[in-house]
Amino acid sequence: MAEIIEEQVESEFSGNITQRLLAYVKPYVKQMVISAILVLFITGFELIRPVLIGNAIDVYIEGYNTPYGITDESDLLFQGQYLTKDLEGCQTFAQLVMAEDQYYYFMNLSKAESDELYELTMEEIIPDKIDDHTILIHGLQGNKLTSEELSTLRRNDFYGILRIGVLYIIVLLLNLICSYAQTMILQLTGQNIIYTIREQLFHHVHSLPLRYFDTHPVGRIITRITNDVEGLHEMYATILIRLFKNSVKILGLAIVMLSINLKLALYSFAMLPLIAMLTYIFKTLSRKVHRLVRTKISMLNTFLSENISGMRLIQIFANEKMKFDEFFEKSKDLYRTNIRQLTIFAIFRPSIYFLSQIALAIVLYTSARSVLDGSITLGIMYVFINYISNFFEPIQDLAEQFSTLQNAYASAEKIFTVLDEKNTIEEKEKPVKLGKIKGKIEFKHVFFAYENDDYVLKDVSFVIQPGEKVAFVGATGAGKSSILNLIGRYYDIQKGQILIDDVDIKELSIQEIREAIGQVQQDVFIFTGDIAGNIRLQNEEISDEKIKECAKTVNASHFIEQLPNQYHELVSERGSTLSSGQRQLLSFARTLAFDPKILVMDEATANIDTETEQLIQDALEKLMEGRTTIMVAHRLSTIQHADNIIVMHKGKIREMGTHQELLQQNGIYKKLYELQLYSV
Amino acid sequence: MMSKKKGVLFPYIWKYKIPYVLGLVTLLIVDYVNLYIPQITGEITDGLSSFSLHLEDVVKLVFTMLLFALIIALGRVLWRFFIFGTARKIEHELRMDMFGKLELLSQNYFNSHKTGDLMTHFTNDLDALRNSIGPAVISSFDAVVMTALVLYKMMVYVDARLTLMTLIPMSVIAVGGYYFGEAFERKFALKQDAFAKLSDAVQESVTGERVIKAFVQEDRQDEVFKKINLYNKQKNMDVVKLMATFMPLLDFVIGVSYAITIIYGGYLAITAQITLGRFVAYTQYLGMLVWPMIALGDSITSFSQGRAAIGRISQIFHEIPDIRDDENPLDVNELKGAISIHDLSFSYGEGLPLAIDSLNLEIKQGETLAILGKCGHGKTTLVNLLLRLYDVSKGDILFDGHDIKKLPLKTLRSNIAYVPQDSYLFSDTIEKNIAFGKEKVSHEEIVEVCKDACVHDNIKDFPDGYETVVGERGVTLSGGQKQRCAIARAFLKNSPILIMDDSLSAVDTDTEDNILENLKKKRQNKTTILIAHRISTVKNADHILILDEGRCVEYGTFDELMALNGIFKEMYEKQQLEKQLSAE
Repeated sequence: MAEIIEEQVESEFSGNITQRLLAYVKPYVKQMVISAILVLFITGFELIRPVLIGNAIDVYIEGYNTPYGITDESDLLFQGQYLTKDLEGCQTFAQLVMAEDQYYYFMNLSKAESDELYELTMEEIIPDKIDDHTILIHGLQGNKLTSEELSTLRRNDFYGILRIGVLYIIVLLLNLICSYAQTMILQLTGQNIIYTIREQLFHHVHSLPLRYFDTHPVGRIITRITNDVEGLHEMYATILIRLFKNSVKILGLAIVMLSINLKLALYSFAMLPLIAMLTYIFKTLSRKVHRLVRTKISMLNTFLSENISGMRLIQIFANEKMKFDEFFEKSKDLYRTNIRQLTIFAIFRPSIYFLSQIALAIVLYTSARSVLDGSITLGIMYVFINYISNFFEPIQDLAEQFSTLQNAYASAEKIFTVLDEKNTIEEKEKPVKLGKIKGKIEFKHVFFAYENDDYVLKDVSFVIQPGEKVAFVGATGAGKSSILNLIGRYYDIQKGQILIDDVDIKELSIQEIREAIGQVQQDVFIFTGDIAGNIRLQNEEISDEKIKECAKTVNASHFIEQLPNQYHELVSERGSTLSSGQRQLLSFARTLAFDPKILVMDEATANIDTETEQLIQDALEKLMEGRTTIMVAHRLSTIQHADNIIVMHKGKIREMGTHQELLQQNGIYKKLYELQLYSV
Repeated sequence: MMSKKKGVLFPYIWKYKIPYVLGLVTLLIVDYVNLYIPQITGEITDGLSSFSLHLEDVVKLVFTMLLFALIIALGRVLWRFFIFGTARKIEHELRMDMFGKLELLSQNYFNSHKTGDLMTHFTNDLDALRNSIGPAVISSFDAVVMTALVLYKMMVYVDARLTLMTLIPMSVIAVGGYYFGEAFERKFALKQDAFAKLSDAVQESVTGERVIKAFVQEDRQDEVFKKINLYNKQKNMDVVKLMATFMPLLDFVIGVSYAITIIYGGYLAITAQITLGRFVAYTQYLGMLVWPMIALGDSITSFSQGRAAIGRISQIFHEIPDIRDDENPLDVNELKGAISIHDLSFSYGEGLPLAIDSLNLEIKQGETLAILGKCGHGKTTLVNLLLRLYDVSKGDILFDGHDIKKLPLKTLRSNIAYVPQDSYLFSDTIEKNIAFGKEKVSHEEIVEVCKDACVHDNIKDFPDGYETVVGERGVTLSGGQKQRCAIARAFLKNSPILIMDDSLSAVDTDTEDNILENLKKKRQNKTTILIAHRISTVKNADHILILDEGRCVEYGTFDELMALNGIFKEMYEKQQLEKQLSAE
């Protein structure tokens, strides 16, 4: 169910997928062409293999019945006579005859006798008399040959077979080399394409504004970069070329068969339409039932995860029995669908097998008839039998590959939807360069909504001079954090103007703004790596000394140096052992290391023990020194340090002034202050 | 193979021994008949080669072959049902038994076992297990039987020496395949690991998006990702290299067997030691050997994965529920609603601080008790103990004078209605969510409790009314609506004891007053425990208890507590201020 919803949500992309998918192949045209050529060779090798065996049968194994001439000098000495297959100038002949699976040797024959015997070997031999050692046909006597005698006599046939055997091995070797080269080239190409798409996607996602991350679940974005891209891999690395290979193979087989024997080939293809149809029906059915299975599994899993999470409630309401019955229905339902799937497969596979056997039967019968009437040889029959069993495999594969292709398209669609997502926060083409930012910040009648007309800031105006420290206070949802977000231009405002050093931030380069602003966030994100890496964040220009210095300044060095590996202690977001106070100090060090001109701080509300609290306060003071500071503050002590306090209430600025001034006003600030006193 | 896992899996397999045996017998028949197909092709070739065969004989042979093919096809349908079908059936039964077992386990178990991990047993483990009792059984049995039968045929029908010679390369496949399998698994694991690293990196950088943007780290993230992306590509290529070598090599080795057949088999045919037909049949037999050689390796992997899976699944079955009925439970079905707590102390584990510290409390039947206190100061723990989700470690809880441990769990829990803090609802219709745990409820009853919980009007406005599905698949309820549904669910139970764990927090004060009013009317003479943060919620309670670090710090009526001038008074004043502030 979840899947179907997802698909609906994601299919916003409407461009030409094929074209875009092929665009990625463009840099690898050479590799693709080489690969295709290699595939042609490989297919050729596959086709030639049965032909070689068929040849061995026809020419050498079955070709025993051509007569020998008896001559004065040859390389074949048998029973005191020199034999040759070159009959020219020979007066006497010898003939090999096979009867009842045994070979008989007739020697010293005249031309007429030889011809007569040769004729006889073309059909079933009915001997006049036969015993253990001799045979009598039409008055001629032949002697039965032992294996040793045969191997001498048929030495040349054996050499022929040997030659074919060696040729066969050469073909195998060539095939081995081609297959290896082809797989490597293509897989490397596929991997390179995947690498590129992934890189592109990763880069693109990070260039998208925060708004995108607000509306798209993290899990889904990750799936795009990981699994969906993986889904394309198979298409590039195998499917494209296999489609080609199988088509070539089918065509090749068909052409060879047709050219060997048209009639026989046509008979062999009789089952094809049936097989194609059955495959089509099967694919449709199995796709449908596969989807159904996936839906049922996902429903079962949703049920499971929900009920395991809610087990407490089930037990409290003593509802185990009913939930068990419900689960039983779901599981049974899945089981039934599984059996349906099983049934489809159980019927399809054997049916295809049976159809292919019928095709084999047709080939056997028709070719046997042709052999009997002499229009084809046994070797050709062998080739046909072999080809027909190879014929059905690529057809099945083709169907398989088309459905993989469909899946790849689904993935591609999702990927392209992300890639086409526009960055709504755009820089001017030639942004104003401030060079050195002084740190003046001004809001002029700013209106801002995250969504539609739901304004979280209404007509907000204020000026902060360079070096000034301003605290925003107000109840939750008053719009304080939004102000912090707007300064770094994480969102664009609907109305009004935000200026840094008297320049509208839309005129400035985003990079310049953000580099000038140090953000201290409520929840400190810890990257996988060591402590030092979490302070310098990939910025190699920040030296180890600098890191230590910064950590020392913000009072973080104390706890860091107590860790077993100090600055090289491994930490991570999930497996973190750092307390929230330590995280805060670490983020201070991080911010200090980047030495921003403007400090934007969302103070954490988390409970921190008094000792760490003091360290944090002290660190904050040092951090704020010489920097324009804008903070959302919760702690009284922090607020009291501010030059100016701006009180926000329901999206508007309600009061402004120093701590003492505001207390005397006896307004919202006073109430907030008193509330604060209670909760401490 | 079965020795270790016998305990859990064996009864299931034993139960279905008949289909298993039938399946294997069918498979045996199929394999045996299968051998005759090349033999028929061979006979036809021979007959044609020696001209001893007439067209009628060919027809006869071809039909025999088709008959055999039909038997094979039918057999293959049958063993699929026998073996695969049974494996599915066992999968279903195991799934049910696992779920049933989970229902018996206590809260402690679910605290230490994450839902995601438990889910894995139902998905991956069950899959691996089914694979090892279904397809793997077929492929291993088939591989062994097929190899044996084909080899026998090759030796007897064709030639023993030829068989031995072609077997040399074939055995290379089996041995090489084994080593390849090991190498493959190693490299594949590395590849999976690289992919997991890549996923982690993506996950981390997307989650840390704010920091990355704030510190303008986008380009540097690209650099880092490039390395991981490259590593992933290399590990993929390592697997590819292995496959690119192995598959063509496999093909080559099989080809060598064919080459040997051409040369040596051809020699035998030339010298009349075998017939041409047998030579042809032999090449077909050779083809039949390839698959079992590969399948054998696969099924070994499946078996080892299945064994690991059943090992993990067994852990669930071997778990002993730590909260269960007393061996001789009291024969009590109804509770009246008096609760007394004597000197109760509780901690969630050794070395952990006390969540409840020497608490004494007396709640009379029909009384309403309100409990106030900060988060993590023992309120929910107390509820957990009353519901016996955990067993008390020190002190007693008595219901109508009966020790909680002596009461049947069923009696205890069906006599307490409960509204949880998170107002957990299931992805089901609203009606079913409210009827939760109660059989034979009329629609009118449900509407009535929904009216009492002030949620009826909301539900009416939903697209499908009471049939509206809650959650991902349907309507998303607001926090307040969820809370009120959970309240209706508890009202429906109409139990002698009602516990509401901070369940009015997302409801506005007017609605809260209404609900509390209805509560008072409905619950004459019934015990109610209200956990709250707001003074407005608790002002009409008979008694108010303030918990601080698990200890009772203030206890009394509203007026008594106000007079105490302590925590309760302070909370009261703070909330008055907040009220004023939001009115600004």
